[in-house]
Amino acid sequence: MTHLDNEFIKLRMQLFEMWSLVISQVEMSREALLNFDKGAASEITFKEKMVDSYELKVDRDCENLIALNTPVATDLRFVLAVLKINTDLERIGDFARGIARFIKKCPKDNLNPELLKVCQIDELMKNAIEMLTDAKKALEYENSRMAISIFSHDDFLDDVHKHSNKIIAEYIKSHPDEIEEALNLYSIIRKIERIGDHCNNIAEEIVFYLEAKVLKHSNKKKV
Amino acid sequence: MAKIETVDANLYYGDFHALKNISMKMEENTVTALIGPSGCGKSTYLRLFNRMNDLIDSTQISGQILVDSEDIYSKNINVDELRMKVGMVFQKPNPFPKSIFENVAYGLRVNGEKNKTYITDKVYESLRQAALWDEVSDKMNKSAFELSGGQQQRLCIARALAISPSVILMDEPASALDPISTAKIEELIHELKKQYTIVIVTHNMQQASRVSDFTGFFYLGELVEHGATAKIFTQPNNKQTENYITGRFG
Amino acid sequence: MTLERRKELERSKKRSEKIAFGTFRAMSLLVVGILFVILGFIIIKGISVISWDFITKMPEDGMTKGGIYPAIIGTFCLIGGSMIFSFPIGVLSGIYINEYASNGLVVRFIRLMTNNLAGIPSIVFGLFGMSLFVNTLGFGDSIIAGSLTLGLMTLPIVIRTTEEALKSVDNSFRQGSYALGATKLQTIRRVTLPIAYPNIITGLILSIGRVSGETAPILFTVAAYFLPKLPHSIFDQVMALPYHLYVLATSGTNIEESRPMAYGTALVLIMIVLFLNLIANALRKYFSKKVKMN
Repeated sequence: MTHLDNEFIKLRMQLFEMWSLVISQVEMSREALLNFDKGAASEITFKEKMVDSYELKVDRDCENLIALNTPVATDLRFVLAVLKINTDLERIGDFARGIARFIKKCPKDNLNPELLKVCQIDELMKNAIEMLTDAKKALEYENSRMAISIFSHDDFLDDVHKHSNKIIAEYIKSHPDEIEEALNLYSIIRKIERIGDHCNNIAEEIVFYLEAKVLKHSNKKKV
Repeated sequence: MAKIETVDANLYYGDFHALKNISMKMEENTVTALIGPSGCGKSTYLRLFNRMNDLIDSTQISGQILVDSEDIYSKNINVDELRMKVGMVFQKPNPFPKSIFENVAYGLRVNGEKNKTYITDKVYESLRQAALWDEVSDKMNKSAFELSGGQQQRLCIARALAISPSVILMDEPASALDPISTAKIEELIHELKKQYTIVIVTHNMQQASRVSDFTGFFYLGELVEHGATAKIFTQPNNKQTENYITGRFG
Repeated sequence: MTLERRKELERSKKRSEKIAFGTFRAMSLLVVGILFVILGFIIIKGISVISWDFITKMPEDGMTKGGIYPAIIGTFCLIGGSMIFSFPIGVLSGIYINEYASNGLVVRFIRLMTNNLAGIPSIVFGLFGMSLFVNTLGFGDSIIAGSLTLGLMTLPIVIRTTEEALKSVDNSFRQGSYALGATKLQTIRRVTLPIAYPNIITGLILSIGRVSGETAPILFTVAAYFLPKLPHSIFDQVMALPYHLYVLATSGTNIEESRPMAYGTALVLIMIVLFLNLIANALRKYFSKKVKMN
């Protein structure tokens, strides 16, 4: 085990800690949405601060690693991947906080379960969480197959997002008194879809690290 | 057409098989770095091209070693002429115990050049090319030993340039120098690449990645991997190469 | 480890250090001391007879009076003669052995032979010189016979010196020269030899010092017991300082009276050797400077 290996292990552990935080953020935002739990919403905001500090730390460590050890080949790809995954995770955390903010600011006490249902919020959130967890596992086990399988989850999110404007419009027509919530939910769907996109990016970074293949902007995202 | 090419080059020191079936091509006006752990054969391979291995007893060479598509180990090759075409810079700066001027003029003189104006012009030109002129123009007749290590090494480069070679071999040219002198030599290599084909042996991986266009990784007398430097240093094909350049070797 | 223990160890370390260095210093001082005693002894005993006349006059009165002029001249003749024989042959073969010959059986044989040659007692050289140069070649007792004998004797030293001097030239200089398309001869002439000069020359002059002090090889080949005139040709006999000293000390007509003359002669001989060594040093400095400034 080289000195550099130890540095990498430290970096990896930090990234995973941050990752777990973000996963719990997204899970909590799902709970908060489904149960309209304002307490959970405040906790998400609190965790967001921790995620931010992790992001800064990981960034600094990557910078130091590059400056002090001039990594090459797989080492270099790892640091670059971590650097990008770091940004993606932080953005995902931001989206979770956005969802929490909506719930906190909402003057009502609960959401119409019908609205949640037609928007498939539960399925969307489950998929997003699964993608995020799978990506973490893929990196943990250095398994590029697992990373590639993430891409297929994203198709579902994209699909729902694509049709959501029509569904929301229909819902507003039938429930004119819930216009505000419906519109907010539309933006939440958009946020979840973005979470999926970032998980996609993370999966691409993992494949880049493991196989030195660039999948970005290509159509080779099949197993 | 490759400037330098070897086809199944083998070299034995007595019973020791130092180079094993090395096939490699180097294009004109490129820098090729040879890397690998000590004793891997990279220096021996470098010395094939100006037949410096001839100086060692009991070496046996097989395969084709071509410079400008000419087999340099065939009988009708004049070694002295070959060495004028293929210049060399050594690990330790080794200027002769002569004046700065005479050091650079040496190659011309031993090869029979008598024309004084030509020699003077060529010496000055070579010193300029080696980025040494500004530092030595007022002390042409001073001993080369008065120069710093880095300056001595650039003098040795100027000395090699004076006989108008088309290939320059460098055997760890900066390993005995301080970082600033090293940076100067590396800068010089980038500059010289425009006119010469350069092959450089180095232990310093960062140096290889900074100065070279192509990199060859040697291990135990074999060429393990050869390719564009950017490729080797980001996505090497071979696990051994990867382990070596990331410092996890052995 | 306690502080006390550490201090004690420290003390014992320092003690053995002091003892060792003390011994080394004492030994080297002893050597210098002995040298000074010898020199002082000779100087005190011999200085009284040293005068301009002593150096420039012929010996007189059964060698109890007069000077040692012919012996000095004779010694210089022998030095010059042996140099002419041994230097070219020795230096050239030294170059051959170190630069040209591949390191095989032949070189090892030559090296063995030169080493053996160096080990032969000088009196044997004397005998050999007498039988070959004096008798067989018919030179008689003469400068040429003596010079050849002395030259033969110094040959191994010259070869060795040259070889060592060339060996100490870093190979990178040769490689640098070859890499510029120089031939072997060009490399030797323009690079290797100039770097080796200081060492070769020092070695040569030291070998001269040895020649000037040898008695045995000249005993049967050139040295005259008493010959108060200067040589006219290389086939003449001459007196020589070491042999003259021997004669004065053992077989003069009046040993008691010629004793001061003996010490004077010894002093002159030492002075010549000392002088040669000084020249060797000066030349060495001059050449190494010249090599750098060239």
